[in-house]
Amino acid sequence: MSTTEDTAARAPQRPVKAAADELIDVSFTVNGSPISIRVPARMHLGDALRMHLGLSGTHLGCEHGVCGMCTVLIDGDAARACLVFAVQAEGTEVVTVEGLGTQESQHPLQQAFSHHHALQCGFCTPGFLMSSYDLLANSEGEVDAETLPEEMSGVICRCTGYRGILAAVSDVAQAHPEGIPGPLNCAPRTLVGRTGGASATPAAPAEAPVADADEQTPRELTRPTGTPTITVAVTRQLSSPVEDIWAVMDDVDRLARCLPGAEMTADLGEDRYRGRAKVSLGPVRLAFEGLAQITERDVADHRLALLAQGADTGGNRTAAEITLRATATPEGSTELRADAAVFLSGRIAQFGRALAGDVSQRMFEQFADAVDQTARTGTAPEVGAGPSALRIGLQAVGAGLRRRVALLAGAVRDARRRRRAS
Amino acid sequence: MKPAPFAYVRPATLDDAVAELVATGGDGKVLAGGQSLVPVLAMRLGRPGTLVDITAAAGLDTIERRGAVLRIGATTRQRRLERSPAANDVPLIGMALPFVGHRELRSRGTVCGSLAHADPGAELPAVASCLGAVLEVTGASGRRTVPAAEFFAGAMTTAVGAEEVLSAVEFPVAAPGEGFGFAEIARRHGDFALAGVVTRVRSAGGAVQEAVISGFGISDRAATRDVTDLVRAAADSADVEAALRPGTEELARDVVDTAGDSHGSQGYRRRLFAVLAARELAHAHRRSTEGRS
Repeated sequence: MSTTEDTAARAPQRPVKAAADELIDVSFTVNGSPISIRVPARMHLGDALRMHLGLSGTHLGCEHGVCGMCTVLIDGDAARACLVFAVQAEGTEVVTVEGLGTQESQHPLQQAFSHHHALQCGFCTPGFLMSSYDLLANSEGEVDAETLPEEMSGVICRCTGYRGILAAVSDVAQAHPEGIPGPLNCAPRTLVGRTGGASATPAAPAEAPVADADEQTPRELTRPTGTPTITVAVTRQLSSPVEDIWAVMDDVDRLARCLPGAEMTADLGEDRYRGRAKVSLGPVRLAFEGLAQITERDVADHRLALLAQGADTGGNRTAAEITLRATATPEGSTELRADAAVFLSGRIAQFGRALAGDVSQRMFEQFADAVDQTARTGTAPEVGAGPSALRIGLQAVGAGLRRRVALLAGAVRDARRRRRAS
Repeated sequence: MKPAPFAYVRPATLDDAVAELVATGGDGKVLAGGQSLVPVLAMRLGRPGTLVDITAAAGLDTIERRGAVLRIGATTRQRRLERSPAANDVPLIGMALPFVGHRELRSRGTVCGSLAHADPGAELPAVASCLGAVLEVTGASGRRTVPAAEFFAGAMTTAVGAEEVLSAVEFPVAAPGEGFGFAEIARRHGDFALAGVVTRVRSAGGAVQEAVISGFGISDRAATRDVTDLVRAAADSADVEAALRPGTEELARDVVDTAGDSHGSQGYRRRLFAVLAARELAHAHRRSTEGRS
């Protein structure tokens, strides 16, 4: 059996090929009016609506898809205007809050929001109106009070406590069991952007080369304070004897080579080093430049402590205090333990969950295995050169380590707890 | 929150899309729904030189029943699948999709995009793993298929190369005697799960033939285990869920290796996993013996 469903009803979008500094012609319908604008590819629909078309009713909050302020309808479904590039809207029908109703003739949802005092500052109101319109216009069954809060969870309000909003939506749902009226203010008209024309936004200049990374690089190492973003403790069993492992740990050049994606670029003397590290994880690609300093080197205890700090051109900063300790096992092999307190700031800290948490253990394991192999063969394997696997870099003994080490922490803590319990 | 400039290409065919990716020499990214990619670009955690928008490529926007599998094309949006009667053929899709982000994200986000992004806390990779879905990857040298067990290589890392496109996924449709379970705990609806489980149990004549569980949000990828023996041993108990608990607690120690964060420690996630696993395995078992999935 093979049955094929209808694919999207809309005609396919025309092919496009545009360089980064090129403007692209885009045509779509907004609130019933066909429009054409010229925009750079990186302009999102929210900016295009506000700046090119003067439709400032669509608000912008976080601009990365979390807050829901910019919710509009695209081909009848609610979508975040900040997560859709204007070029992707080619050929679609977009409805914004301006299309929902007018001051004289409000949409029932707008009347209900007003009646229930479902707004205070009003910033989220366009988002809530468009989201609730989508819910009531597109839901197949009844909207029930129990699931309504979850259904409306795609937009954030910081004033009302949501009760007025939920009451308003609930009211409209009950008043229109057969479906709510469509947008009341969609008809052809001329839309004029704030910039004075339909396509006045100049192309953004090409991004400066990454050469300015050096300016971001910290000049001084400072011990981080406060609560770490992540703390890590991990152990790994290595086959080589402890003296061989220590020989690698004690040789910063070789140690740095064991860190995936990392590279030591300068020995600044007094156990201070400059280096860089690349992090590559799906679409995420960061290049850190930074400093590392060995703060403690205990030969008898086979313990190495270091402080590392780095920054990238995007304002992301990392700092870590790391302790590595090698312990001989009765079998003549080695247990390598890493403890790290990692501090992240900048956008990476917001986006750091997957990066910082789950990846950490694999990274440390890779690092530890590379140390082991170096101890056995004298040279580090090509870590971080793998084509598709994890290529997560630490900076010269720094940024990456902290991360890969992160997961270990939990495992060790847990093992200890178990040991204690038994 | 503006992405760095990028070249934008919207080819008319999948082959052209692959050619464009090859032309970028690894500096290109596939754009479909963009609901995971665009935030990364907006925060400038990634700056690909070129985005290859595959949404205009012919023939990728499909939901198609092919014998014992439901085939979903690369640009099929999650909300469209959610509304499609064909989704009933794979009950786990209907159970999991409402938990994928919010309506406003599913209207744009694609099924294959979620699989290709491979967030450790995402629902669809766990569904694909639990069902043993097959993923089709297209590159310059043609198409290859990758079983879900080999597709997910780690957090946000998959078998799809930089010059390849995940062109389709095939989910096995529910067989007679199969029952399913799905549950997740997140701080708010739409957030990535602190811990979640997808379960599948197949019974025949009242006897458990096969039981599989996939956990998500608990490691760097969905963790899938065959738990046939565990479920079989508990199947005759008056309270199957309670009988499963010691086993799922043991399982939690094995599969939950995420370090924990400010939203939930590792120990908390283990408890969540153990409870959800027992509940949803019992649920799937009950359904498998009742003849409804």
